Formats: sequence, C-alpha cells, structure tokens
Amino acid sequence: MTSNSPSSGDKLLTLRWDNWLLALLAGIIAVPIATLLLPGFLAVVVAGIFIALVVITAIVNAWSRHIGGLLVAPAIAVLVVMNIFPLLWSLGLSFYSYRADRQTLRFLGTRNYERLITDPVVWDRLTTTAYLVVLTVAVQMVIGFLLALLFSKQFPLRRYLLILVLTPMMLSYVAVGAFFRYYYDPTFGLVSQIANLFTTEPFVLISSTAGAFAAIVIADAWMWAPFVMLLVLAGLVSVPKHLYEAASVDRVPGWRRFWWITFPYVKGLLLLALLFRTIEAFKLFDVVFILTDGGQSTETIALYVYRQAIQFNKTSYSSSLSYILLFTVIVLTNLYLYLANRRSKEA
Amino acid sequence: MLKSKQLMITSVVAGCLGLSMATTAFAEEITLNMAVPDWPPTRIMKKLFDENYKAKSGNTVKLEVDFIPWPDYYTRLNASLTSGEQKYNMAVSDSQWLGAFIEGGYYRKLNDLVDPELKAILDDMHQAPLQAYGTYPYKSDNLYGFPQMPDILITYARTDVLCHADEQAAFKAKYGTKLPCTPEELDGMDWDMFGNIGEFFQRKKGEKLAGAAAADDFYGIAYQAGKGYDFSSMQINGFLWQHGAEIWDETNIPKAQAEGVVNSDTAVKGFDHYLSLLKYMPPVVKTGSMDIFKTDELFREGKIALNIEWIGFAESAINPETSKVAGKIAFASMPGLKMADGSINRTSNIGGQPFVIMTWTDDKKIKEAVDFVKWWLSPEIQHQFASAGGQSAIKSVYNDPKYTTYRPWNRTWASGLDWQQDVWHIPQFFEMLVQQQEQFDLAITGKQDAKATLDNIAKFQQRLLSDEGLIE
Repeated sequence: MTSNSPSSGDKLLTLRWDNWLLALLAGIIAVPIATLLLPGFLAVVVAGIFIALVVITAIVNAWSRHIGGLLVAPAIAVLVVMNIFPLLWSLGLSFYSYRADRQTLRFLGTRNYERLITDPVVWDRLTTTAYLVVLTVAVQMVIGFLLALLFSKQFPLRRYLLILVLTPMMLSYVAVGAFFRYYYDPTFGLVSQIANLFTTEPFVLISSTAGAFAAIVIADAWMWAPFVMLLVLAGLVSVPKHLYEAASVDRVPGWRRFWWITFPYVKGLLLLALLFRTIEAFKLFDVVFILTDGGQSTETIALYVYRQAIQFNKTSYSSSLSYILLFTVIVLTNLYLYLANRRSKEA
Repeated sequence: MLKSKQLMITSVVAGCLGLSMATTAFAEEITLNMAVPDWPPTRIMKKLFDENYKAKSGNTVKLEVDFIPWPDYYTRLNASLTSGEQKYNMAVSDSQWLGAFIEGGYYRKLNDLVDPELKAILDDMHQAPLQAYGTYPYKSDNLYGFPQMPDILITYARTDVLCHADEQAAFKAKYGTKLPCTPEELDGMDWDMFGNIGEFFQRKKGEKLAGAAAADDFYGIAYQAGKGYDFSSMQINGFLWQHGAEIWDETNIPKAQAEGVVNSDTAVKGFDHYLSLLKYMPPVVKTGSMDIFKTDELFREGKIALNIEWIGFAESAINPETSKVAGKIAFASMPGLKMADGSINRTSNIGGQPFVIMTWTDDKKIKEAVDFVKWWLSPEIQHQFASAGGQSAIKSVYNDPKYTTYRPWNRTWASGLDWQQDVWHIPQFFEMLVQQQEQFDLAITGKQDAKATLDNIAKFQQRLLSDEGLIE
C-alpha cells in the first residue's frame, strides 16, 4: 500500500484502498442517482456506504503521514457533533424568530439581542444571579478553606471524617435540593423542629427574600465547600515542611507563617477553585428550581432561560440569552486568568 | 363412503387450518403508546385495561403507558412533542394545553372519528367537562379530546376532630353556631364558616385537640397557594368568579380586554378574599410551596382539619397505607360565597384531563385508539372506574343511584359539575400562567397587595395578547 495521494489521471482511476478521491467521485455520482431511483431508505443506505468508503479511504491514505491527527480525530468528531455544531446552530437560531412548537422561521437580525438587553426582567434575573454568585462562592471559599486547614492536620478518625465531608459533592443536585426542601419544611422539617424547642412559633426560613437566599446559599455551600476544600488541601500538603521548620526556628508568628508560606502555595489552586465555582454558580439552576422554583425573588438567569426555552418554547429568544450568558462567562474566565497570570509574574 | 368421509375430514381440517391461518394473518399486535400523569386515575385506567380489554378488531392491543410525575408532566410532554420524536400516539393531556399543542400540529382533530356510537356517548356527557377537555377554540364545535378523568375541587374534612363533643361545644360558645361535621352540614359551609374553622383550629403542639394533647401543631384549613404550575390559579379563579369578576375571555377574541377586566374592583375584592384566609393555614403557605401535593400530604399526615383538594387525591386519603387519617374523613362540596339571597355560589375551576390522539398516529392505531376510548367511556367500564375511585362525566352513569355508593365523595359530583368553568386554552396559556403564578406568589407571600398584583397581571396579559393579535 502506498501512502501518496493520487496526483495524475491514472492514479485517480486506480482501484486502491487509499484512493479517497475516487471514492468521493463515485459517491458524488452514485448518491444523486440512488436518491432519484431508489426508495428513501435504500438511498440513505447507499449514501451511508459511500460516506463510509470516503472516510475509510481517507484514513488509509493519511495513515502513515498524519497518524497524530488521526488519533485525535474521533475526539474532535464527537466534540463537533455534540458541542460545536449545536453551539453554532443555536447561534444561527438566535438571529431568527424560531419557536420549537411552530414550524415557521423569520429572520430578525439582532432584534432578539436588542430586546434582551432592554428587558428589565432579564436585568432583574441577572442581578439576582450576581448576588447568588457572590454569596455562594464567598461562603464556599471561606468554609472550604477552613475545612482544608482542619484536615491538613492529623487527628483521630480524620480519614473517615474526610469521606463524610466529601459525600455531599458526590450527590446529585436534585437529591440535595429535595433533601434541603424537607430540611427547611416548616411543619415536618428538622430546622423548624429544632427551632420549636426554643420558640412556640414554627420556623419558616423561605418566607422572605433574605431567608430564601440564605436557604439556597446554605444548600449550595453544603454541596460545594468540600470541592474547594479538596483543591486547597492539595495545595496545603505540597508546602515543604522545612519552610515551617525554618520559620519556627526564626520564631515567625502564626499569621505571618500563613501569609508568607502557606498562602503563596495554595493561591493558584484557590484561584482555580474560585474560577470553577464562579462559572458553576453563574449557571445555578437545580437547587433553586427545587427549593423555591424562583419564588421570593430568587429566579436566577439559568432558571429564566429554562422557562423561555423549555416551557415557553421560545427557542430563538432563549438562544440569544444563552449567548449573552456564554459571553459573560468567557469574559469572567479571562479576567480571572489575566489576574492569575499577572500575580504569578509578580511572584 | 369411506372415501367421502375421508374427504370430508380432510376438508374440515383444511378449513380449520385455513381459518386459523387467516385469523393469525389478520390479528396483529398493536401497541398504543400513551403519556399520562402519574396519579391514581391513570393507574386505575392501566389496571382496568390490562385486566379487561379485548379489542373489537380481534387484534392484540397493548397499552404502553409512560407515567410522568405531575409537576414535570407539561415540560416532559412538551419536550417530547416539540423534539419530533413522535413517541406517543395518545396522551392524557391537561385541558389548558389544547391550544398550544393543536397550533403546534401535534393533537389531531377528532370530529371525523365521531361515529353514531361515539356521538351517543358524547351526547350523554355533561357539557362542562366536554367543552373544557374537548373543544378548541374553547366552546367551539371542534373536538380534540375525550374525557379520561373529569375532576373538581371538593372539601376533605376530618370528622374525628370536627365532630368531637369538646370542639363542638367550644365552637358553639365562640361563634354561636354549630361546627359543621357531617357531610351534609359541610355542604352548607361558605367561605366565612371555612375561615372561622381556620381561626378556631390553630393549636400548638401539646394544646388540647379533640380531647387529647395535639402531637404536633394543627391547623384548621388549607387550600392550594403554591407558585408552581397552576397551583394557586385553580383556587383563585373560583374566588374571582364567585365574586362576579372575570378572567380574560378567550371566547370573545379579539374584543375581550385584559386590562380593566382582570384587575377590576370586583376581581381585587375576590382575590383579597382568597388572601384573607391564608393566615389561618399551615406556615408553609408563606414559602410559596403549598401546592396541591403539600396540602394533600399535610392532610394525610393529620395536620389540618379541612382541605380543598381535587378528587384525584381522595383515593390515597382513604387508604390506610398512605394516610394516617383514613377512616376519619368526610367529603363535601367546595365552600362558596354566600349571596344576598342566601344561596351559595360555588363557581370553580374545572380539573381533570382528556385523552388526545397525536397527528402522526397511523390509521390502524387511530382505529384502535378510538375503540379504546369507546371502551373507556362505555357505561360498564365507567362504573368500574368510578367504583375504583375515578369519576365519570357521563350523565347516565353518574345519575345512576349506584354511583354515589362507590366512594364517599361521589355524592358531591353531580351537583359540583354544574359549577365548573375553565381557564384559557390558547397557545400562550403557559406564559400567561407562569407570569400570573409569579404575581400571585408575591401576594401570597405578602410582598405585594391584591390590587398591584392584578394590575401587573392585567398589564402583562394586555401586552402579550395584543402582540399576538388576540386583543385589538
């Protein structure tokens, strides 16, 4: 088997397993004929055979020369089919007035985007999301950091406690939401039952906006603080012991030891945790959906997109909204990366 | 002779063989795929089908049912229909969805399938459910659905608490009137009495309740006040209509207006009346999550004396396996508004669901689906359904004296049906519903008054419906 592609007319007509041009040519001629002459199903089969033939001959042809490219091709193909294509498709849709439950399509240009940017409801949902992002991420970072400091020390039952602390992260969002819904329930809930020991009134956490926010932040922090802890813990164990030993010889106070030795080692991972959690918190949906369904002014932008896309079938409108969100997340990510790079250069 | 006998036997055997072959050739296995909400009325239907159904055509008909939980049902069915997967031939659809799914091209018009047999059945049906479940535009002649489970809101009452001598005496002393306790007495209850019962039974844990210390906090009344789906609108609409107010009238497009109607003074009065009773209800009402499932759960757990609930939940309330209060319940009509002449106006929002058939279902399956619907609506099966806890919209069935003996709530059925109206069926209903539920939730959780709430709803509906060309 030769690895050169056919370059002359002779080579083009040679029947060989690496002659992908011939396969392509045959396909271009045969598929339209099959479509015209054969019933629908058989025509699809014929088209499939020719596509397979072109792919196989192209692979055989490129085998020895582009082996690296061929090895990543399946992954790229999956990425294109599952991610890139839908992304571009929805980008296209966002300029039309398409609804999933209608078969009509009208070009709108940037009208969807104009409407979104001027819609006070969208701004309200974005503000809610921003509050929740700041609150949930801040609480998770603080608790996660403190947990990591705790678990970086040796103490009895540490391993078992660590497994327990990590469990919430492995649960599904829906399970956590449902669990906390019962936890906060004024009649059956544990929180209310405990509060009942001290007061005669039932404790209704989700009866105000502040309470509902607290309920969501607590549930989300319970689930994701262990994630922050895990990352920070990895940073903590990587701090060389001799630095602490040297510091203790120099009688450096505790907080300075933390600031000058511990913190620089965990900073990078902390920033990574911050990045992951901010992006995730920006998409906060499940816990809010189950705990409040957006009630008490807690409707996040993700929940709003869900309503527009899945419940109201406003496919185009929700696609444009999703693109604005995607853009926001990309800007945020780059901002973080820029800051992280600047810090590391300074260091 | 022998030869002719042999010949006869051979021909008989051949004939039998041929006949059996012909039957095998004609009898096909046909599967009807159906999406249904997961609750007793559809579970009972599936059980009755599996135990009794023999297709008239001679085919072996199977019913593949997807039981989908109620809160997700619309979203799941909507996703299936709009994705184009064409998974279902039939569905048990909520009546409000008709417009959205008919305009989308998913629900098939059924007028051409109505043969004399089906017409006789439909003629014998109560108009309220038939119009609510079957017609689009609402109350037109276009038929899109056949009733599967008709449903109305009724009162579930704890007789052990209400009938207790101590409570009876204390109530009489406080309000100067008898605390209603029997089903007949409860039938005469208006919203004022309902409110009094709410005020009267607000017992903390350990306080005396029906002669013993209350094991937990106990409340007098509950009705739906949740933010999700339609879990407050279905009750609020009743209050609005009873007070003489209207919702946007879809039978009068494009003249009917939303502004000035939805937020009229009478509507504000009706909505305020609804809100005024919430203070007596379990504290979960303040969270916006007291939906029909929560009130049902609270009632079955023994935390409330009176609950306004769909009949569809009643079967699980009287079952000792699922209810702590089984055997201690009476059922009565939903309370209403006492009018100047002393009568009670009980106008209410109809519940229940129709069968629909999808447009992509082929002729063979359509024939089987129609036969299945005829079977379902036949008096024999309707009686069996009712005796297992369902309801029938067919007059000759529910007027049969036997009917009221099946279940304790059936006595409320015939009179209750006359009071039913339905909410909008237009394709935009879900957008209107979600916005309305959000606004109602703000009022229920005390963030906004009735007037501002209805003003916001009216403004939104006026804009949306004008944009869609439904208001001129």
